[in-house]
Amino acid sequence: MPRVRARTAAATLVAAAALVLTVRAQAPAVRALQIEDIGLPAVVEDGFVWDVNRSPLMPQALRRIERSQQAGVIGASGRAYSPGRILVRFRDGMSMEERRAAVRLATPSGDIVARREHADFDTATIDLAEDAEAVAGALAARPDVLYAQPAYRVHALAPFVPNDPDFPSQWNLHLINMERAWEIQPLAGSTVTVAVVDTGVAYRAATLTQNIPGFFNAGIRYPPLGIQTIPFAAAPQLVGGAAASRIVAPYDAISRGLNPPLDTDGHGTHVSGTIGQLTNDGIGLAGVAFGVKLMPVKVLGSFWDVVFGSAPFEGGSDDDVAVGIRYAADNGAKVINMSLGSSGPPDCGTNPNRSGCSPVIESAMRYAVGKGVFIVVAGGNEYEEFVPPFGQNPTSVIAEIASRIDGAISVAAVDPNKVRSFFSSTGHYIEIAAPGGSNRGFGREGFVFQQTFDYVFTDTFDPTVVAPSRYTAPRFDMFANIGYIGTSMAAPHVAGVAAMLMQQGITDPAAIEAALEQTALDLGAPGRDDQYGFGLVDARAALRGLGLAR
Amino acid sequence: MKTALCLLFGLALAAPAAAQDEPLRIRPFVLGTVEAFSAVDSFDAVFGRTYEPFFGGGVQIVQGNAFLELTASRFRQTGQRAFISGGQKFRLGIPLTATLTPLEATAGYRHPLSPRVLPYVAAGIGTYHYTEDSTFDEPGENVDSRHLGFVLNGGAEFRVHRWVGVAADVQYTHIPGILGGSGVSRQANENDLGGVSARLKIIVGK
Repeated sequence: MPRVRARTAAATLVAAAALVLTVRAQAPAVRALQIEDIGLPAVVEDGFVWDVNRSPLMPQALRRIERSQQAGVIGASGRAYSPGRILVRFRDGMSMEERRAAVRLATPSGDIVARREHADFDTATIDLAEDAEAVAGALAARPDVLYAQPAYRVHALAPFVPNDPDFPSQWNLHLINMERAWEIQPLAGSTVTVAVVDTGVAYRAATLTQNIPGFFNAGIRYPPLGIQTIPFAAAPQLVGGAAASRIVAPYDAISRGLNPPLDTDGHGTHVSGTIGQLTNDGIGLAGVAFGVKLMPVKVLGSFWDVVFGSAPFEGGSDDDVAVGIRYAADNGAKVINMSLGSSGPPDCGTNPNRSGCSPVIESAMRYAVGKGVFIVVAGGNEYEEFVPPFGQNPTSVIAEIASRIDGAISVAAVDPNKVRSFFSSTGHYIEIAAPGGSNRGFGREGFVFQQTFDYVFTDTFDPTVVAPSRYTAPRFDMFANIGYIGTSMAAPHVAGVAAMLMQQGITDPAAIEAALEQTALDLGAPGRDDQYGFGLVDARAALRGLGLAR
Repeated sequence: MKTALCLLFGLALAAPAAAQDEPLRIRPFVLGTVEAFSAVDSFDAVFGRTYEPFFGGGVQIVQGNAFLELTASRFRQTGQRAFISGGQKFRLGIPLTATLTPLEATAGYRHPLSPRVLPYVAAGIGTYHYTEDSTFDEPGENVDSRHLGFVLNGGAEFRVHRWVGVAADVQYTHIPGILGGSGVSRQANENDLGGVSARLKIIVGK
């Protein structure tokens, strides 16, 4: 049974909101994790079995097309055909001898074989080396021939529907027209690297040996556990099997590269799943741009990071975010997803140096966009929140920066009914909307599901998840299909589509933003509005581009 | 505009009294054209160039120095769906085939400089059938549109044989109503499917 986790996305953003403005003058006092590079495979719950022998990045439909083309000869028309035969329809009343004679006039090697059952045409055999299109042309010119053509190769053109068993339940992907988008681009962004600037990603197996001291949480004292051996596994649906090589230049900005960017929260892994969970492998769920390369860039610490000493606090800070953005831009990322945020004053656009603004992040974002990187930022989850001193529905500072940069975009969330999610922040800075889900009126069906840690095994410190009397060390090798909601979940939909647009040929970040906005499904008030921006992202419309007149 | 064009036709066919004694001559011709489209950015985005060839033919009805010309031609080209942003053009690799079929009627006046050289001017109207289809189109997404436009041309006919003439002229067409409402033409703010073309006709007849 998939599990839902409404609080995580919001918690990450709130934690970031509380802490992102922290200024640290010194290097973070973080410790190196004691890691062994070996670990056991992940445990995937709910009966899903993963098979490393599959090659999930190559959709079966594309393989069929490739095989079909390889088996044929490319004619002058550009179409591939099977050599050695012509399909010809003579006018009625011609004898076999007359038909044979006609074929031999077109080519001396020609002959006619017995007509196939259910066929109203003859099959003429010709020399394998002969140009079948030329011979067909000669035959077709005869007055006693109705038509003649080579046996052109064909392949299935059915819309690409992933065979992942839980794909039908992914309302979020249906909402943005992903099936038809994959039909246009079956490789789904395979040449593009997307940086996930987040809590890290479960991208490799490891064994952590950590001292877990006692701590207080939610007013409860949790006892020290001493030295613990903690398993950590790669998410099978992100990097399983042949996909292990999709991870590019992972980096932990919090520890300045001292530690690998392991996700000990689940948020970054979930976000990565929406961007590019392995798809059409017959397992679990699908992701948007399932062919992309992923660059885990850790800028947000988790509860356990703090306990382990590998992060100074939960959430992140502007300097780590700025460094993470610049690192991603310098190391080949073409799209950056930032499902993080912070509340602040509304007028940073006109007064960027005022207290509460983040010029260091703005500078990093402009640097990255200047290097050809498209940036996606979550629009914020505080529509119903009162955040002193900024009030209710405060401005999300980083999203507001994105709105002022051509080549960066801020993303609101919608529910399965294409209505703004109740939590999704509104304002002049909202530029586009994507599925972020809602647990108000929808229940389980309102969540965005991806594979990430089963929080029952990671959030052992949370009395709402695990009774304090049953507190144990966490383990990061138990995966399940977990439902999250938030603009954190909306942003990676847009990041995935942006990666596919890059692959499709739009390489300029400002042009990608324009393409996404101009092809979005307009929601709310006509034109851009503060709830949905330009509307709901439409993957198919964006990838399809425009004709001369339509 | 329609009134003006009707007047133009009337004037062109109102041949001088002397000319009315001359027999009506019907002269078929074949036509090759290269048209530089007014929608420069749109065509460049989709086809990678701004000019395209047309081929066709027609018939001239000549009486004295006046003539009426009916022309049918066709252009068909495959490019790619595209996107324009900030002046940059991005081609998306999705084939798009556009077909333009003009049917034009012009009335004109010839002024012989010599028995072998006959400069002329003409004006008229046309109906322009434009279709556009692409891979991955869904029903209703193709374009199939027909609009009126107007035509001006001028050039000279050179008699190379008693029964054969070669005419070269420059033609301007203005075709509103097809481009500009959507697609890259809207992004480029271009709404004229016409342009300036160099035409070569081989005319059979005296």
